[in-house]
Amino acid sequence: MRIKEQPIEAVLFLCASFSIIILLLMLLFVAREGALALSKFGANFIIGQIWDTNANLYGAFPLIYSSLMVALGALTIAIPLGLGTSIFIAEILPFSLRDPIKAIIELLASIPSVIYGFIGIIFLAPLIASVFGLFSGATALTASIVLAIMSVPTIVGVSGEIISAVPKDYKEASFALGATKWQTIRNVVLPISKSGMLAGVMLGFGRAVGETVAVLMVAGNVARIPMPFYNVLAPVYPITSVIAMQMGEAAVGSLEYSALFGLGLILFIFTFIVNTLADVVVRRERKTGGAKK
Amino acid sequence: MTTKTKETIFFVALGVPTVICLLAFFWVLYLLSSGIGTLNWTLLTTSALKGGIFEMIVGTIYLLLGAAGVAGPIGVLAAVYLVEYAPSGRITRIIDQAINNLAGVPSIVIGLFGYTFFSRQLGLGVSLAAGWLTLSLMMLPIVIRGTEEALKMVPPSFKEAALALGTTKWRAISATSIPAAAPGIVTSVILGIARVAGETAAILFTSCVLITRGLPKSPFEPVMALAYNLFVQIVALGEPAQRVFGTALVLFLIVASFAIVAIILRTYYRRRQPWLR
Repeated sequence: MRIKEQPIEAVLFLCASFSIIILLLMLLFVAREGALALSKFGANFIIGQIWDTNANLYGAFPLIYSSLMVALGALTIAIPLGLGTSIFIAEILPFSLRDPIKAIIELLASIPSVIYGFIGIIFLAPLIASVFGLFSGATALTASIVLAIMSVPTIVGVSGEIISAVPKDYKEASFALGATKWQTIRNVVLPISKSGMLAGVMLGFGRAVGETVAVLMVAGNVARIPMPFYNVLAPVYPITSVIAMQMGEAAVGSLEYSALFGLGLILFIFTFIVNTLADVVVRRERKTGGAKK
Repeated sequence: MTTKTKETIFFVALGVPTVICLLAFFWVLYLLSSGIGTLNWTLLTTSALKGGIFEMIVGTIYLLLGAAGVAGPIGVLAAVYLVEYAPSGRITRIIDQAINNLAGVPSIVIGLFGYTFFSRQLGLGVSLAAGWLTLSLMMLPIVIRGTEEALKMVPPSFKEAALALGTTKWRAISATSIPAAAPGIVTSVILGIARVAGETAAILFTSCVLITRGLPKSPFEPVMALAYNLFVQIVALGEPAQRVFGTALVLFLIVASFAIVAIILRTYYRRRQPWLR
């Protein structure tokens, strides 16, 4: 029996376009549910300072601020960890050890976030509380540390791949000129792979902003901007945590329900932009020949 | 300072982050292993109604297999299109970008979408089926990327030989490229399972409840899952820590075994592609 080719190609194309369809549906449906809150509060939904369910007031600024603060804190820790690790694995570690260490980093990525949160709240939070003499160890700093460990594998995965893709000829040319290994890394490998590293960091940032369960357990969940604003030892309430904590009790169709979808929309758009930028960076890298074989 | 000492200093400085990552991993392992005392056969096989975690384990497996059943076929066909058919143009680039963006959507947003679309719009309610569809969205990018990689490693001569015999394009691909890439495809599905096995936020609103009477009898009933129960136990109930440790350890073991199997398979097949020799 001869199967017609065209319908098959159409089915394949449909499957391939599935991701686009889903993204559009996501935007549409999350925006539809969030429309009530967004139209009621307008710009105040984003810049409003008070998020209070009892007063039915939904100004998400403290939540947005919390998310960014926690994620930036995480990056501050994760960038040196992630980039150092990826350079070390790709360039310095003996060949036979590379795969096992990479596998461990990958396992680190597959530990469920609920377990990270659990360990964070049972061990890390008390530790932070006793070191800084706080009543509760659930703070922005605790959340940042947990998130840092969680986003390191993302950074290592992306930037490690780019570093390994630096053509061997370039490095050999550098060695032939008498450069040492470190000089080669600094003057050849790093300049070529720097935008790949940037992309890895951006993806890690997107991951950190979107992480929910682990953050929720250790961030303290107080919807107020810390005093002073850079106080990492204060509790915060990131967007993702608010959605997870309040969805259960929000009545479908209520203003609160809609406000939570409004938060989801902010999160969706923000991570979409960050991820797209990261992709553009990687793509430009490939075009300009950094990773050209 | 000589160049040599300088170099050593830099290498040590780069080694420190690596060591910290490894320590973090083993620290997590060590902490989890303190739950090992609570693990025993009775806990694993006793119903949740009597204090065990049987339904959570089976529920987790149901969720994962169903999600793989949805994401697997769609992901593989999408990858076949992208590798074998797609013209390198604007549309293909947009598809590629969309897959990356889907992979980057926060799981809580996927959960919100799953609730409003699958549970409410499609009327699936809080159910196993809604959970399958929601989780499959998180699995899809992993399956597509893994399958693409596997298909690209198959030498074009396989397909060309079939085409030379006069078959159609699809026949050639389905008879040569896909079977040759099968181990890689399976690996990518397992990796996808491992990535979502511990997922909580996506199933929070779509498919889980704290307690059910036995296992779900149809895909349209809610289900218990390890990750969800762990989450609720920690956040809301303040369960005695010991049982929580046991649940966390079981969840970790399930996730880790999927991940380890995938990693081993991948390393094995990357090295032993018979046609690369």
